[in-house]
Amino acid sequence: MQKKAGPLFYVFLAAFVFFVMFPFLWILLSSVKPLSELFGDKAFDWFTSHPTVKSYVSVFVNYPFLRYLWNSTVVATITTVYTVFVAAFAAYAIARLEFKGKAVILGLVLAVSMFPQIATISPIYMFVKKFGLTNSYLGLIIPYTTFALPLSIWLLVTFFRKIPFDLEEAAKMDGATPMQTYFKVILPLAVPGVFTTSILVFIAAWNEFLFSLTINTAEKFKTVPVGIAMFQGQYTIPWGEISAATVIVTIPLVIMVLLFQRRIVSGLTSGSVKE
Amino acid sequence: MKKEASMRNEKRAERILGYSLVAPALLLILAVAIWPVIQSFYYSLFDYRLNDPTKSSIHLNYSLDLEGYLQNYPFLKSALKREIATASEKTKATLSDVEQKLGKMDETIRADKEVGNKYEQVDEALNNFESPNEDIKIVELNEQAANQFTNTVKDVVKTLEQLREAGELKQPDKVVGLAQGLKGVIIEPNFVGLKHYKESLSDVRLWKALWNTTLFTIVSVAVELVLGLGIALLINKAFFGRGLVRATILIPWAIPTAVSALMWKFLYDGQNGIVAKYFADIGLVHRMGDLLTTEMGAMFSVIFADVWKTTPYMALLLLAGLQTIPSSLYEAASIDGATKWQQFTKITLPLLKSSILVALLFRTLDAFRVFDLIYVLTGGGPANSTETISILAYKVMFSQTNFGGGSALAVIVFLCVAIISIIYIKLLGADLLSDSASAKK
Repeated sequence: MQKKAGPLFYVFLAAFVFFVMFPFLWILLSSVKPLSELFGDKAFDWFTSHPTVKSYVSVFVNYPFLRYLWNSTVVATITTVYTVFVAAFAAYAIARLEFKGKAVILGLVLAVSMFPQIATISPIYMFVKKFGLTNSYLGLIIPYTTFALPLSIWLLVTFFRKIPFDLEEAAKMDGATPMQTYFKVILPLAVPGVFTTSILVFIAAWNEFLFSLTINTAEKFKTVPVGIAMFQGQYTIPWGEISAATVIVTIPLVIMVLLFQRRIVSGLTSGSVKE
Repeated sequence: MKKEASMRNEKRAERILGYSLVAPALLLILAVAIWPVIQSFYYSLFDYRLNDPTKSSIHLNYSLDLEGYLQNYPFLKSALKREIATASEKTKATLSDVEQKLGKMDETIRADKEVGNKYEQVDEALNNFESPNEDIKIVELNEQAANQFTNTVKDVVKTLEQLREAGELKQPDKVVGLAQGLKGVIIEPNFVGLKHYKESLSDVRLWKALWNTTLFTIVSVAVELVLGLGIALLINKAFFGRGLVRATILIPWAIPTAVSALMWKFLYDGQNGIVAKYFADIGLVHRMGDLLTTEMGAMFSVIFADVWKTTPYMALLLLAGLQTIPSSLYEAASIDGATKWQQFTKITLPLLKSSILVALLFRTLDAFRVFDLIYVLTGGGPANSTETISILAYKVMFSQTNFGGGSALAVIVFLCVAIISIIYIKLLGADLLSDSASAKK
């Protein structure tokens, strides 16, 4: 297999990057167009001659967009912190300790992560309704556990398994208890794995749609994906505002992806290949 | 001997520690994921509707809505008394008979001590113009009493209606109305068994939705696999700008599906959508508007948007698999004179098999339960042509507020997903768990 890249290869690469990024590029260009140029003849012009930030202002003035951002941040952060915390113990036990039924438990975790959300929504909806948790942060954090916890356990198990077992043996020789070994030896080494897991869980919670759509219906408690999707009115769709809002939520993601791409890729592909 | 015992103790301690560390996570998973699935199945056996007060919860037995009863019976009783006072002799006898029947029924209800207690409490609350507590409002009745009640009320209503026809009553509409109000206070058990499944499975809409889901899944996953493999093979080399390409790949994956769906809706727009225009220009669609308003166009649009969002991710997974294939194998093969195609079919594909299967498993399941993308992009339309089974279940549950029927559909989705997983896991063998293969969103 040739390992050197030729000029043709870079042409292909440029085309690929362009195709993938085109929708974003177009949305970015549309977000600075004045309303009149979003429709009609000028709708297909790439660049506007009258760039404006009106759409961006409108997103924050006419819609509770800041509130959506805050809601998503709170819900995704709490979900991530608490599920990764619970999962870290379970994953450590599954990866490093000897006890019966490990494979079954891991299989169960994997199976649960494949559950279709729609199969759990009606009882969960009735549950949060009964306890008055609709339109609250807790009302989303509880259902988000359904996908966040299995995901965290699954990823952390692969990370914990990669830490050399000799270290534990050495700690045991020195007379450390399993919990001491965990906190003093394993956990510090697992920090990168825990961090990667947190990023992936955070993204999953940030992007969740179905639970958020059904449980938090009040404007005050909507999350970003549902909030933006509900920008569209019955007859009109405010494309300018939607473009601006899309750009606003995409930029932090782009920064995050640029900063942590190595980690995210290692998390996504961890264990999907034999090592 | 001693050493052995201490070893055994140590093992035991480790086992106990293991279970106690796993326990919290396991309990949470049981409570928030497994229990709801079981409950979904349970709900699906009932005629469970949120918008109908007599069906808004699950009743295995007959019960009596005390609130409804006490909002009618006392008033009916006094109205009858007034009628009796002024009625003719013949009517008086009939009315007294009615009054007695109702009185006897009332006694039967109150005979049970517990029911009697709740009866008083609800009555008191109503007299104070408060709405009574949920858990005392509804009381269970045995089937016999419930049937007796229903029959008595039916008789009474019939008698009173006859009297009204004959013009014997002073306040005919009030009396008959109150008596009719008693008809709705018996709540029948809403257990329907597998009726929802039978109805769903004989409903063309379900089969259409299943077909749409299958079509969407197979086409999008197949295209994603071929494109993803192609891209992975091409970028499996050292080149300038790797980081940039990797970031490019991750962005579509990272943005919320709902947001990307909305973005595509803009690009596909029949009047102002740039992608719609380009598609029309190159002759892919007849008119720009065809993309979202025709059945074929809408399905194509949804698949195209999904391919855009997940092909890069597929490429990433396969690239990781490719990078584990030692290059020495290819070197040896080319020395032996193998062509590129032979190298691909004899080395790359066999060694990539488990990576491909894992990627396919997760992508197939994701595609099969697709919701956000289609809900935002087409809403299942036009004419249900992109309605997938998850969307259908959601609509039945939350738009028609038919939780029983919707839950049955949700259980069907669950079973399909289970079957798909089993097929893949059979193909993968034990690889998945022992290798701790994961390829997650």
